[in-house]
Amino acid sequence: MLSRLILRAAPAALRSLPPPVAVGVLHTTRPVHTSQQRLAPLPPLPEKGGEVRHGLIPEEFFQFLYPKTGVTGPYMLGTGLLLYFLSKEIYVINHETIAAACILSVIIYAVKKFGADVAAFADKLNEEKMANALAVKNGAIKSLEDAIEAEKKEQWRVEGRSFLFDAKRNNVAMLLETNYRERLMTVYNEVKKRLDYQVALQHLKRQKEQDHMIQWVEKNVVQSITPQQQKESIMKCILDLKALSKSAQAAV
Amino acid sequence: MAGRRAAIKAIDWAAFAERVPPNQRAMFNALKTRSDTLSARMTALPEKPPAIDWAYYKATVAKAGMVDEFQKKFSALKVPEPVDTQTAKIDAQEQETAKSTAEYVQASKARIAQYEQQLQKLRNMIPFEQMTLEDLHEAFPETRLDKEKYPFWPHKPIADL
Repeated sequence: MLSRLILRAAPAALRSLPPPVAVGVLHTTRPVHTSQQRLAPLPPLPEKGGEVRHGLIPEEFFQFLYPKTGVTGPYMLGTGLLLYFLSKEIYVINHETIAAACILSVIIYAVKKFGADVAAFADKLNEEKMANALAVKNGAIKSLEDAIEAEKKEQWRVEGRSFLFDAKRNNVAMLLETNYRERLMTVYNEVKKRLDYQVALQHLKRQKEQDHMIQWVEKNVVQSITPQQQKESIMKCILDLKALSKSAQAAV
Repeated sequence: MAGRRAAIKAIDWAAFAERVPPNQRAMFNALKTRSDTLSARMTALPEKPPAIDWAYYKATVAKAGMVDEFQKKFSALKVPEPVDTQTAKIDAQEQETAKSTAEYVQASKARIAQYEQQLQKLRNMIPFEQMTLEDLHEAFPETRLDKEKYPFWPHKPIADL
């Protein structure tokens, strides 16, 4: 753990992710800001921590000893150290030792059994946070794009204003035209009415003159029939009738 | 007469209708119906009144000079064209709207530029998985906790939790 802290320097500090206790990558150095310039962003932190063996000892230690002592080297070193501490009583076995052994075994059992589940749960919580943030960002992007589209559409709409004014001018022109035509028609109608009136007046006068003349002629004719003539014409009618009746009787 | 007649332009009502925003549709419909009524009225009237048959009247009417006098006065009569008072106003309106339109388009373009800027910022952001809290506060300044105003945890009013 200490070696890992030494390897990673300052800016890689605050991570919002909980570092998972799992097999990770083996790395020697990370690029860090060594000079005063701090403008370029660092590459992202690795997803997993460094590799460890038995949960405690970093892999780099084993790799460090491998050229000289091979695979079993670190284990021999560990065993030797342990026996040295025990035999020389640098570490004294007492009741604390038993307590530590029990506690440690329980802890190790719990971690091995439930570790993965707890890690998954924590990861899920974080995933949800990330998903929310991402949704917010995507929503913001979409709403901005929609706003841009709407503005462009409004600009396009505004370009059509010439239609409105053309329509208005057309309306005015149509009104004027209609008015002018109405005036022409009025003039024509009035003149025609007067001429027709004169013609009708003349016809009427003619009619009246004719009627009057006919009446006058009839009156005069009736007047001129004297009583003598009336008697004569009645006698003639009777004779005619007799003759007719005789001829009719003869026919029947 | 011909000069007056040329003032009536053909309007593409379909294209016009497309550009009308939904909240002004009622006004557009009113304008259209008015236009249609006017054009119907105009086409109902004949362009020229029918010619008066002077020969018939001359033959029929007994009074000698009357028809001739009528004819003379009729052909000499000039019907005055109605005066156009509104077109100037409409042109003035058009100029005004041209100006305000230009302003509106200007403002609209400025808004679009703003939106584009924000869009670029959002698109160029580093993904959330690689952000630290500092990076988050830089990208979204509203997430920064005001430690001067609220010196005690949680550094924001309780109601905002």
